[in-house]
Amino acid sequence: MKFFLLIFLVFVTYSALAMESEFSGNIEGQIRNSTNNSEAKDAPLFQDWNRENFYLLYGNLHGKVEFGESRIEANWFARYSESNLYEPAPIGPFNRPPYIATGIFTFPNRLVARDIFQMQHIDQSGNHQTESILNKFYYEWDGSDKRFMIGRLYVNYGLGEIFNPINPFNQPTALTSTSQVAQGNDGASFTFFMKDNHLIQFLFLGDKRIENYDGSINKTFWIHGEYQFSDKLQIDYVLGEDQSRNKIGGQASYQFDEALMFFQFLYQTELITPEPSNNLWDLLVGLDQQLTTKWHIRFEGGYQKQDQYASLTTFTRFLPTEYFAALANVYEPHPLVKVSGTIINDIKSGFSYFIAKGTFSVTKSTEIEAFGFSPVSAGDETDNLAQKLVTTDLGIALRTFF
Amino acid sequence: MLKNWIRKDIVLCVAIGVNAKSADQWLKYAESQMRGDRSHSEMTMTIQTPNWNRTLEIESDIEGKKEALSTILSPAKEKGIRTLRIENNMWNYFPKLKRKVAVSSSMLLASWMGSDFTNDDVLKASSMAEDYSHKFAKDEKKFKVIENLAKSNSKVMWPRIVTYASKEDCLPRMYKYFDKEGKLKRTLHFSAIKKFNGHKVPTHWEMIPENDKTKKTIIDYKSIDFNIKFKPNHFSQMNLTGN
Repeated sequence: MKFFLLIFLVFVTYSALAMESEFSGNIEGQIRNSTNNSEAKDAPLFQDWNRENFYLLYGNLHGKVEFGESRIEANWFARYSESNLYEPAPIGPFNRPPYIATGIFTFPNRLVARDIFQMQHIDQSGNHQTESILNKFYYEWDGSDKRFMIGRLYVNYGLGEIFNPINPFNQPTALTSTSQVAQGNDGASFTFFMKDNHLIQFLFLGDKRIENYDGSINKTFWIHGEYQFSDKLQIDYVLGEDQSRNKIGGQASYQFDEALMFFQFLYQTELITPEPSNNLWDLLVGLDQQLTTKWHIRFEGGYQKQDQYASLTTFTRFLPTEYFAALANVYEPHPLVKVSGTIINDIKSGFSYFIAKGTFSVTKSTEIEAFGFSPVSAGDETDNLAQKLVTTDLGIALRTFF
Repeated sequence: MLKNWIRKDIVLCVAIGVNAKSADQWLKYAESQMRGDRSHSEMTMTIQTPNWNRTLEIESDIEGKKEALSTILSPAKEKGIRTLRIENNMWNYFPKLKRKVAVSSSMLLASWMGSDFTNDDVLKASSMAEDYSHKFAKDEKKFKVIENLAKSNSKVMWPRIVTYASKEDCLPRMYKYFDKEGKLKRTLHFSAIKKFNGHKVPTHWEMIPENDKTKKTIIDYKSIDFNIKFKPNHFSQMNLTGN
């Protein structure tokens, strides 16, 4: 099957060489100095390091070929990361890279979320890790009111920028230092655009990563719809089986004169496999408003039920908090300068985290970003180990686009 | 000399079908010339300060007053980013990440790509002819001066705009934008009138903010096609996400 798909893609690509094509990309280098949380150093976390530098170099090369109603798109993502935190042998019960911080610094560290086709190379040795991944590679056909896609897809929808529970296919990156990063998902998508106010998308995705590669496919069947109920109200709905759970949920967004308000809900059943599990559900309320020509604010608050059976090292959400409220401010004092500050608070534990970023355009295609991440108040809950993993970081990034 | 100006004014404006005594018709005529029923245009936008310039190339499609689609052609960082407006709803689309984002209608007042223009200016969400009431003020030299006051039911960001229109061709040469406190906030200058498909359009626009006159944003129209016919689903989410 893979062989035939490859042949097909090569054939179509070859036949399209004379057609319209486009290539673009970006490269980014980051240096980060990180100070560990003192409570993470001892049992049971064993993150026994104090202060380290972390170096990151990554980039995308994106290509697109169009011919008639068809298109092939691909994105090659490469990343090199270096730090002493990669160096030591695994400690304690963890079977991941030695220190969990490396996975957080490179979030999202899995660039293919549902993986059938592989097409990636990851190598970790000594104090560095190298990754080379074709994280987007698909064929698309557009009819007059329908769209078909097959291959490795980006699936992006939902208004949440800090927490976006209705979309399990791409993690929001608002709280990270990365940009221009998206996760690929292997499978097929059928989208039907019904009238002007309703679209419905069927996703058939597979994942062999959790089982042995030649074992059974852990499937995803997902329906995502967007219905424009009125000039001001849009309803999105999601329904399906994903990661061995049945899920149902939706999003309602309403355009007030001064702001956009949205609400998300997602319910997940217990695992449909025999393993012990609990059900999960998520809530999100958000508000997005442009206050002046230069000042933009966003509020997101919500709840996510914790998975009692997930181990710390397999958590899939960045900065896990159970009840949370986040406020983001973005201010553009000058056409070349953008500054932002985001504070996120775990209401139950009192844990708070602050993210500051300043972006300066140095040429028309190059920008420098300074960033800082820091817990500003420690949580009073002793059982939320993940919050103790949050480090204090200062860093600078140089990114260029071509 | 004055008589010559008045005669020229009447002759030209009558010749182009405008009743020079009605500010409403004057504005409607100017808007029909500059925006037409539909258009496809390509332009450059240059943000200029004493120390640096930044230029963007933009493609813009407009259908009536309810639909607009803009695409950034360069620079590389923003290339391909599209904005679709259908009535009061707006979406941004980032093609490299395949991400479509619904945008708050309050974003219409946001600066467009750091320029002195807003999303409202670029997407032509408001209509000077329809969203404002008009009356003539005292003429200034070769200009007809028209006071435009926002209608109570219109959703526009400028409560008062003063238009300075040429008596020769009835097209605007300057807009002055005032805030709620009546303070002048920015001035838009028009020049380089060119004809596209029978429409006379100023092709060089300069927006100068009052709080910093050392900087300005310049739009230069490279081409405008008023005869374009868009596909039925051109202003649709399918087309927005199909590039």
